[in-house]
Order: sequence, then structure tokens, then C-alpha cells
Amino acid sequence: MSTNGTGPTIVLDGEKVAYNPGETVYEAATRHGKDIPTLCYDPRLEPFGGCRLCVVEVEGARAPVASCTAQCQAGMEVRTRSARVEVHRRTLMEMLVSENREVDVDELTSLASQEMTELVDRYEARTGRFRGRQSGASRPDDPNPFIMRDYDNCISCYRCVRVCAEQEGDYAISVKGRGFDTQITVEFDGHLKESACTFCGQCVQTCPTGALGDLKALAYRDVAGETKKTRTVCPYCGVGCAVDLLTRGNTLIGVQPAMDGPANKGALCVKGQFAFDFVQHPDRLAHPLVRGEDGELHQAGWDEALDRAAEGFLRVRERYGRHAVYGVASGRAPHEAAYTMQKFIRGGFGTNHIDNCSRA
Amino acid sequence: MTDQEILARWKEEPAPLLPVLHAFHARDGYLSEDAIRTVSKGLRIPLADLYGTITFYHHFARVPGGLDCPRVCTGPVCLQEGALDILADLAPEGATGMPCSGRCDDPVPVIRGHLTLAGRSAADLTARPAPLPPPARDADRECVFRTIREPGHATLAGYRRDGGYEGLARAVRELTPAQVVESIDRSGLAGRGGAGFPTGRKWRAVAEANGTPKSIVCNADEGEPGCFKDRALMDYDPHAVIEGMIASGYATGAHRGFIYLRYEYPETEHILAEAIREAEEAGILGPSVMDSGFAFDLHIRRGAGAYICGEETSLLNSMEGKHPFPRNRPPFPVTHGFENLPTVVNNVETLASVPHILALGAEWYAGLGMNGHAGTKVISLSGDILRPGNYEVPMGFPLERLLYDWAGGPFEGRTIQAVTMAGLSGGFLAGDDLFVTLDEPAIRARKSFLGAGGIMVFDDSRDMVEVAHAAMEFFAHESCGKCFPCRIGTQRLTERLAGEAGPDSLVAWVDEVADIGYTMKETSACGLGTAAPLITESLMRYFPEAVSRHVTAHGPLPMAGRG
Repeated sequence: MSTNGTGPTIVLDGEKVAYNPGETVYEAATRHGKDIPTLCYDPRLEPFGGCRLCVVEVEGARAPVASCTAQCQAGMEVRTRSARVEVHRRTLMEMLVSENREVDVDELTSLASQEMTELVDRYEARTGRFRGRQSGASRPDDPNPFIMRDYDNCISCYRCVRVCAEQEGDYAISVKGRGFDTQITVEFDGHLKESACTFCGQCVQTCPTGALGDLKALAYRDVAGETKKTRTVCPYCGVGCAVDLLTRGNTLIGVQPAMDGPANKGALCVKGQFAFDFVQHPDRLAHPLVRGEDGELHQAGWDEALDRAAEGFLRVRERYGRHAVYGVASGRAPHEAAYTMQKFIRGGFGTNHIDNCSRA
Repeated sequence: MTDQEILARWKEEPAPLLPVLHAFHARDGYLSEDAIRTVSKGLRIPLADLYGTITFYHHFARVPGGLDCPRVCTGPVCLQEGALDILADLAPEGATGMPCSGRCDDPVPVIRGHLTLAGRSAADLTARPAPLPPPARDADRECVFRTIREPGHATLAGYRRDGGYEGLARAVRELTPAQVVESIDRSGLAGRGGAGFPTGRKWRAVAEANGTPKSIVCNADEGEPGCFKDRALMDYDPHAVIEGMIASGYATGAHRGFIYLRYEYPETEHILAEAIREAEEAGILGPSVMDSGFAFDLHIRRGAGAYICGEETSLLNSMEGKHPFPRNRPPFPVTHGFENLPTVVNNVETLASVPHILALGAEWYAGLGMNGHAGTKVISLSGDILRPGNYEVPMGFPLERLLYDWAGGPFEGRTIQAVTMAGLSGGFLAGDDLFVTLDEPAIRARKSFLGAGGIMVFDDSRDMVEVAHAAMEFFAHESCGKCFPCRIGTQRLTERLAGEAGPDSLVAWVDEVADIGYTMKETSACGLGTAAPLITESLMRYFPEAVSRHVTAHGPLPMAGRG
């Protein structure tokens, strides 16, 4: 950012402000504290220019321009909240209300799921105008356990399709048909499981209307209490994705990716996103177990358990030789732990039979 | 051809997806799931993406035998000429409707397989050439039609006999590329596809842009209802288009050209292909154009039925095998066009004007217009008019003279109620505004535009609300779905014009329709969405009583409450 007063500037709602070369009007305005509405924008994706809610007036331009795709130019005079653009925003929001089954969706549906509701309320758009046929057809037939496909509430912003392609690189979903009949789909209108979908949940978390929903979290919608968010790191692998754990009381009810997580910037995989049930599963191991003379597992202390394990390893080595042991380090472990593991196998057993599960 | 032979034939060519899909479509009679999977693998396009893109196009059949099912034009003129009866009569053969397919001067076209039939009833359908432009009324003021009516003009021999390729020969031998640009610039030639951007300026921008290879793209996706001028030019003067493209390539440093031809002109594809073959054999196309050392190759890419692909950036995405949404601009195609490289995108009529300008001079062309306007414009005139057809008029020519003197006026006992402008995109003109001159400033002053030059006539027997409904239904059918105002707006306006939804109070109805139109005009991402509300705007301006009758005629509507 130009701070020395010599960089290029635009006039933003009457105030001269600096912009960075290449910055869009939306980016510059947002950085300078303007709250420009948008529904198709996700800062991680290429500007799309679909929802047109971010239109601003630019001095000299015949019609309002989409601020998300317009680049700043020196001296540009921009009005972000003029009566003219506010009228268009309200009309657009009324149109959106008219095409969906409902405006209000459960907050557990996804991270971005309240975006449309908030704008509908900001523009007082529950007027019932522009009634007509509704767009999109939900897919309750899709049996996957993770992603709700409730396209009755889809507004065709294509954030799901774009995040799948641009961020995840999966290209699992696309746009079928055109105009009012566009429909988010996988190839040949099938189910997600038979497609290239990896169930990373990116599409769900960026959906601004709740047309895509997190079924795992929604299963806990009836748990009482206020939802609390706790920032932590995903425990599954060594990447270190930042996540927000959603809890109500002592119940973990969902996981949301952290958009500002330095390692993942809002990305997660199927495990980090959806596989959190184990935390409160009754079968979860909560202490060491060793097998007794009776063949059953019994609770034990750590010293006893580790001694039993060491004893077993040593017995194998003595009976079958040092190459009878094969170590596979967990992909959940960071570098340091993986290093320690190979040291343990190479130095401790004297074999090179060491691998890491991430190689599979 | 086997799957692998089809892929091998096209894989190394530029813009391979559409030709590959057409090859499978033609071979199998539809696009099977297996074919789509094979293309996905062969061209390395993600399967879901390819499937979505295929469903974007109207004419790719997805059920066995689909290609051979008749597709009947249900454009605005054909609807008045018996299209629905033909559709009903051909229903046993699996007939479906298709948007205006550019034969309004000889309705009703029906496409079956790779053949266009035409006739006013199912029993009448015959395969026959599309009409030649009617005889010239002011031959000295014609440019692109100057020689088009000469017998055999579509062949290389005929074209050369009539002076063709002489302008190009002089250009590549005697003029520098900059001089060619300069000449086009001075002629005042501007884009004849509707946008009216000065051609010389476009060529100069591409000539000066960095990045190779550059391309010349001829926009022959004439999808605007009521427009059929490019079809006539390509059918009867294909070499003029080729000559114009080579000249454009020479002027800008582009060595490859593409004709993006709309699906609905299958015969035209053969005519163009034959002309290209002739030009290649004669050394006019190829490694050394007319022994000048300048190389230029030309490819035809056939669309698959999508009006939006006439929008230049959608067209480029379509050629590249992408989902044909319009791109955000800037950057413009002159710097970031086909494959993100400098590209000229010019309309057929624009390019077909170039050989005449090169042969007869910039001043000659500029002088053809009236009242200070440069050049000519081909008007596709159709509907309730005695002599429909393509008329080349001087820019600034009075509409009234075209309608009454040249085209014979309305049918006996009828009066002209309204005409459309820019095909459908300019909405209607009626009343005193029919006394307009045919040039952009005059027509824009009446809240419309000349655009690509399609004019459809509706006499006093027509229900203008129904005409407007059919028009809006077309825009809704063709809206790509990228931007909200157009995607939802065209649908809501169609429902209101159909009497299917909307308020039953006139004041509230007019408010809703005006509000939707205002936001569409000001915020839509491309010309489709900004132009479509001209239909409702002009309907309410010229025919308020008809609108009032329409709104009050129907009682409470089924979708008046949230459905």
C-alpha cells in the first residue's frame, strides 16, 4: 500500500485514497473500510462478476460497473453507496428472494450460509415482489453422508463450481443448462460419490445461501446451547490446517475451515472437514489397553503398556531377525516425529524398512 | 471413423473441442455418454466440465436419433407463418422448436440432420437455397451487395471475374500493413455486427499488441432473431469474407483465421469449406498468400446453438472449449482474445466490406452514406411486408422509404403497427418513430439501436403483447445464466408477458416490469441483459392500452402467491 502520498489514488465516496496497482475497486474499497455487498465474491477466487450487487458508480461511466472486476485507475471517482446503486441492489435482492424456497437457513449449514440472509435484511427485500417460478432442483436422492444438495435455495453464483476448480483442482461439479434453468451438477446428473468429488467440503463452506449444507454439523442442530467457536489446528496430518471447532456445551457439533489459516486459507480435506465424530464416540480409546491371560483387553498404565510393546518388538527381532520389523510413520505426524520414527527403526532395530503412510 | 481417428484428426488443431463433438454427433446421431467420456480423456477436459458445457448448447442431441429429429424455427416471424402447425404435424417424428434460425425471408426453416428444409406447412417442406438479396434499388450506393447477384459469383472463378481478390493482391504486394489499416480507418468502416466499433481502430490495436500467434475471428454466429444478412453474404459471396479475413490478417500480423459459424447454417458450412479449398488450391490461402510471402490459414468452427456465442467473448470461450459465459472486460479481445492472445473479432458484413474498400478506395466507401454517415448497412427485413429480404441501404437512409418504396409496404388492407430494431435487441419502434433514418444516432435518440440491422415488421393484425412475450421468451431461453439481473430478469419479464405471474393491479405490474428492466439495463454483464428490457420498455411506451388490457384481462394468477 502506498503510504508516502506519492502512489496512485482514487476518489472513494469523496475521499482521496491510495490503491495498489492491479487492485480492483472492490478490493481497494474494502481495504478502506467500505462495506460493498456481494454474493458471488470469494477472495480466494478469480473475480467473476455474476451477482452484480457490488456495482458502484464511476464518474464518466454510462452505467454502474461491477467493482469486483473493475481495476482501479488513477483519479477514478467512485461512489459505493449512491441512491442509484442502492436501488439496483435492493431490486437484485428482491429478485433473489423470489427464486428461492426460503431465505432463512440454519447457521450450522455452512460458514458462509448467512450471507444472503444478512443482505436480504439489510435491503429489506422480503417484499414479495417479482414472484414467479423458482429456480434449481434439490437432490435429496444423493445418498452421500456429508454434503446436502438443496438447490432449491441456489442462486447460481457458482462459488461452489469455482472453488472446486480453482482452489481444490477437482473439477467435480459444473453448470448444466443456461439462464434460469442452470443447475449445479456432476457429469450425467449423477451422485457426488460417483463423481470426481473428494468431499473436501469447500463448496459447502463458500455457499452463501445454504443450498449446499454440512450434513454432519446439521445432524447436531437440535443440541441445545449457544454455539462456541474455538480456533485450533486439524489433528489429522502434518499440514497444520487451521480450523474452528463448533461446540455447544461439551458436544463437538462441527468443523469450519479458517479462511485466515496460514497453511490452508480456508481449505480442508474430507477428514478435517467431516470426520470429527470420533471425538465423542463411545468406542474411542481413552487409555492404554493390554491383552490379559484371558485373551481380553484390560485397562493399563502407560509404563505397563509400553513395556509390553517393547517386549513384543524385541521378541520378534530375536526370533526372525532385524528385517522382520517394518515401520510406517503416520501422516498425521509432523516432520520431527517422522524423523524420530525413522531413527527409532533404523537405529533401534537396524533395518531400513521405514516408510510413511503419506507415500501411499 | 473410430473414436481414436476422430481425436487424432482434430487433436493437434487449434480450437478442437467443437469439431470433435460435431464429429461424434454426426457419426452417432447424438452425443452418447461413452462419446463424452472419450472426448474428456482425449482432450483432457474434466468430465463434469465437459458435460456442463455440452448441455449449454441447444443442438447437441443427448438421446439416440436426436440429430435426425426435425427442429422447427419458432422465431418471431416463423411463429406468424405457421411454425406451430408444422411443429405439431412433425411431432410424431420427435420435432422440437428452435430459436430463430435466420431464414425469415423464406420461412419456415426446419433442420433435419444436416439439411435445412423450408416451407409454410409440413407438406410443403423442400430443400432449396436460401434467397439471394432482392435486386438493387440504388446500385451505385451498394458495397457488399455490389457484385453478389452475378451468376456463379460464389465460385473462385466467378468472384475473380467480378474483380474479387484484386484489392487483396494490391494490398499484399504494394501496401504495408500499416497502410491497409490506415485505409480501413479512413473509410469509416465500423463493426456491422451491432456494436459499431471502428474497424480500423480495432485492427490497429491488434497490430500494435504484443503476443503471437494472433488470430482473426469472423463472427458468423448470426443468432439475432430477424437477422439473415450474414447467411446471404456467406452463401453468395464466400470469397469476399475470405478476402476480408486475409486482409485483416495481413494488416494485423495474424497468420490464422477462424470462421465461427452458427449451427443453423449447415449448407453455408459446405459453401465456405468449398471456397476455402478453392482459395488454398489457388495459393490465395496458405504459406504464401498470392506469392507475397505472407502466410494465412483459415479454419471453420461450427457452433452448436447458443445466441450468447455471438457475443465476442462468449464466442472466444466457446472456441476454446470452455463454458461459453461472456468474459469480464477489460481486457478486450484486441489484447486478450483467442487463447488470451491479440485477436480481431469482426462480423461477416464488416469483413465482406473490406475487399470493396481495398478495391475502390476508402473515400468511395465513406461517400456511400447519407447525411454525413459513412458507408452502408445491410438490413434484414422480414415479417408483415410485401417483399422481405436483405437490403443494403446507405447509412442514414429513411426507414419509411425502405419499408414502402423498396419493400412494397404492408399487405393489402393492413397498416404497419410496429417494427423491431437490431433484430429483437432494439425493441420496437412505432407511431411517429417509424419516420426515423437508419443510422445509430437517429435510432438511439428513440431509445433503440440499429445493431446488426434486423427489422421485423408487425402489422395491425398482430397482438403486440404476444409478440413481446415471444421476444422475451427468446431472451430468457438464451440468457447464459452468468449474471443475476439477466438470468432472473428475463424469466420474470417472460412470466409477466405470458400472464403466468405478476401483480394483477396495473400500477404494480408496470412498477415491477419497469424496476426489473431498469436494473437489467444498468447492471447486466453483457449486451443480452442490457438490451432485453428494451422490449418491455418500448411495449409500454407505444402500446399502453394493450398492456393494460393484458394485465386486467387475467384474474389472480396461480403464482401470485409464493409457489
